[in-house]
Amino acid sequence: MSPLQFAWRSLSRQPARAVLGLTGVAVVGALLFDMLMLSRGLIVSFRDLLESTGFDVRVTATEALPGMGPSVSEAAATVEALRRLPELAAVVPVRFGVAAVEALGKKTEEVAIIGSETRRRGEWRLVQGADLAEDSGAGRPDMVVNRTFARDQGLGPGSIVRLASTLTPREFRVSGIVEFPFEASGERMAGVTLNGFTRAFPAARRDEADLLLVASPPGMGTETAVSAIRRARPDLHAFSIDEVLERLRQAEFSYFRQVSFVLATIASFFALLLVTTLLTVSVNQRLGEVAALRALGFSRRRITLDLLAESALLVGGGGIVAVPLGLLLAHGLDSILRQMPDLPSRLHFFVFEPRALAIHLAFLVLAALVAAAYPVILAARLPIAATLRKESIS
Amino acid sequence: MSAPVAIVEARGVGKVYPMPAGPVEALRDVSLTVAPGEYVAISGPSGCGKSTLLHLLGCVDTPTAGSLLFEGHPVRAMGEEERSRIRLRRIGFVFQRFYLLPMLTAWENVELVQSEAGMPAAERRARTRELLEYVGLGERAGHRPSQLSGGEMQRVAIARALANRPGLLLADEPTGELDDETGEQIGDLFDRVNADGTALVIVTHNPALAARARRRLAMRSGRLAAPSVVAGS
Repeated sequence: MSPLQFAWRSLSRQPARAVLGLTGVAVVGALLFDMLMLSRGLIVSFRDLLESTGFDVRVTATEALPGMGPSVSEAAATVEALRRLPELAAVVPVRFGVAAVEALGKKTEEVAIIGSETRRRGEWRLVQGADLAEDSGAGRPDMVVNRTFARDQGLGPGSIVRLASTLTPREFRVSGIVEFPFEASGERMAGVTLNGFTRAFPAARRDEADLLLVASPPGMGTETAVSAIRRARPDLHAFSIDEVLERLRQAEFSYFRQVSFVLATIASFFALLLVTTLLTVSVNQRLGEVAALRALGFSRRRITLDLLAESALLVGGGGIVAVPLGLLLAHGLDSILRQMPDLPSRLHFFVFEPRALAIHLAFLVLAALVAAAYPVILAARLPIAATLRKESIS
Repeated sequence: MSAPVAIVEARGVGKVYPMPAGPVEALRDVSLTVAPGEYVAISGPSGCGKSTLLHLLGCVDTPTAGSLLFEGHPVRAMGEEERSRIRLRRIGFVFQRFYLLPMLTAWENVELVQSEAGMPAAERRARTRELLEYVGLGERAGHRPSQLSGGEMQRVAIARALANRPGLLLADEPTGELDDETGEQIGDLFDRVNADGTALVIVTHNPALAARARRRLAMRSGRLAAPSVVAGS
C-alpha cells in the first residue's frame, strides 16, 4: 500500500474531519487565489486597455501621467516633426475637455469631450452610425457619443447636441454611437475632431495637445520609438506602456498590491495553521498506532511519507476546489469594486493569469510540506517504547 | 559441532530512564538468551520491568548498560534504520491493545507489513491468505477491526506479526484485554506458532498463558528472579 493510498484511507477513517479540512483549505485557498489575481489584476487589465487603443507610446509635456499635466504647445509642428521620424508609424494629437451640454429640450449635464484626428485609431470603437467626418468649417461638426450619453439625452445618429457652456453655443451633429476604452460606468463622453474641439472650447489655446498618441511600426519595438522621441525632442516626455504601468504600480495601484499581499499572507497563515492543527490532532489521536507501526518495523521515512501524503491530499484537494471557488468569488468581488466612481468600466480588479495559478499551485506544495513539518517531527521522533508503555498504562 | 546462534542475547543489560524527579532504573543487570524455537514467558508485578525487557529484546529500545546481541550482532552498533529493518523482517510484535489499523481490513492489516518489507504482490496475497486461514479467520478477511471481536482482532494481530516469517515473536500482555476463554484460544494459537518453529517471548500476568511456556521467568524490581522454571526439567 503506497503512502498516498495509506493517507487516503487515514483521511476516510474520519470523513467529517477530512471534509472540514478540505472545506477550510478550499475557502482559505480561494481567498489566496483571489489575492494573487488582485495583486496584478489592475495592471494586467490596464495594460489591456492601453494596448486596445493601438498606440504603444504616450507623449506629454511634463513627467505627469497623460492627461494629468500641462499641454504640449505648438502641437501641429511637434506632431509633424515626430511624424518624420522613421521609428514612428503614427502620431495623433489628443485633447481633453469637459463641457456642459444641453440636448434640445433637455437639462444641462456635463460631458467629457475628446478631440482627435479623423485618422485616429482605437481611441474609440464605433458601435452604431458613422464615424467622424473631417470638419469643413461649415455647418454642424460631427460628434460621436458613448452609450451613456446617448441614453441620458435620447441621442442617436442625426441628433443635435448643443454645448451650453460656451459664450456662443455651438451645435454638433451626432454621427454615431461609440465605446471609449477608458469610459467610466455612467460617464457621459463624446468625441470630436480637433477642429470640432476648438469650436467646442473657443477659449482653449488652439495649437495645443494634452497628449500625443504614438504607434511604433510593427517589428521595430516600443523602446526604439521611445528612444527616437527622446533624442528628437528631449523637452517632451515619452512613456511606453510598461513605463506608464510601472508608475501606476508604484503609485495608484500600490494600495491594491499591499492589500492583496497582507490578505494573502493572512490566508497563507490560516491555511498552514488549519492543516498543521488537523494533522497534529490526528497524529496525537493515534500515537499508539504510530508507535506500534514503528515497533513493527515501519521506518521513520515511511511514517514521514504517510503524513506528507495526508497533508498533500488535504491541501491538494482543498486547493483544487479553491480554484473554481476563487474564480466565483473574484467575479463577485470584481463586480462590487468596479462600482467605484470614475473607473473605466472595462477595468477589472481580478484578472485570471496562468501565472497566478502557477503561484497558487506552488504555494499549495509548499503549504503541504510546511504544514506537515511539525506532525512529521512529532511522529518520526516518537519514542516507541515510552509511547507504548504510556498507552498501555492509560 | 557449534551451538546454533541465539536469536537474542542480553548480557547484563540495564535500562535507566531519566525522569524529572531523578533517574529511574527500570532494568538491572539482566542476562537472558533466547534460542531459536524457544518459548519463554516472563511474569511479574506491574512496573517490574517486563515490558522494558521485551522492548530491548525486540530492538525497539537500546540498553543503557550491558550488551545486547541480535542473531549475534551487537544492537548498540546498529543505527535506527537497521533496527527498523530487523524489527520488520526478523521480529514479530503482538500488543495488548492489538493496534490494528482501524481503516484497513484484516487482510490489509496483514498485507501491510509484507508490503513494507518489499514482498512481491503475488507472494503477499498467498501469504496473507495462508496466515488468515492459519489463525482461523479466512472468512473474515474483508472485515475491519471494528467488525471483529477482541479475540479475532488479536488473531489478526498474530497473523500480522508472523507475516514476514520472523524468527522471534514478542507478545506484551496478549490476553490482557480478553476474557479467559478467548485467552485460552490465543494461548492455543501461540502453542501452534511455537510448534511451527518460531521462538516466542511472552510477557504476561496470565498464569495459564505463562504455564504454556517451556521456560518461565519471573521479574522483580528490574531483575530476573532466579531460578528460571523450565517445563519438563
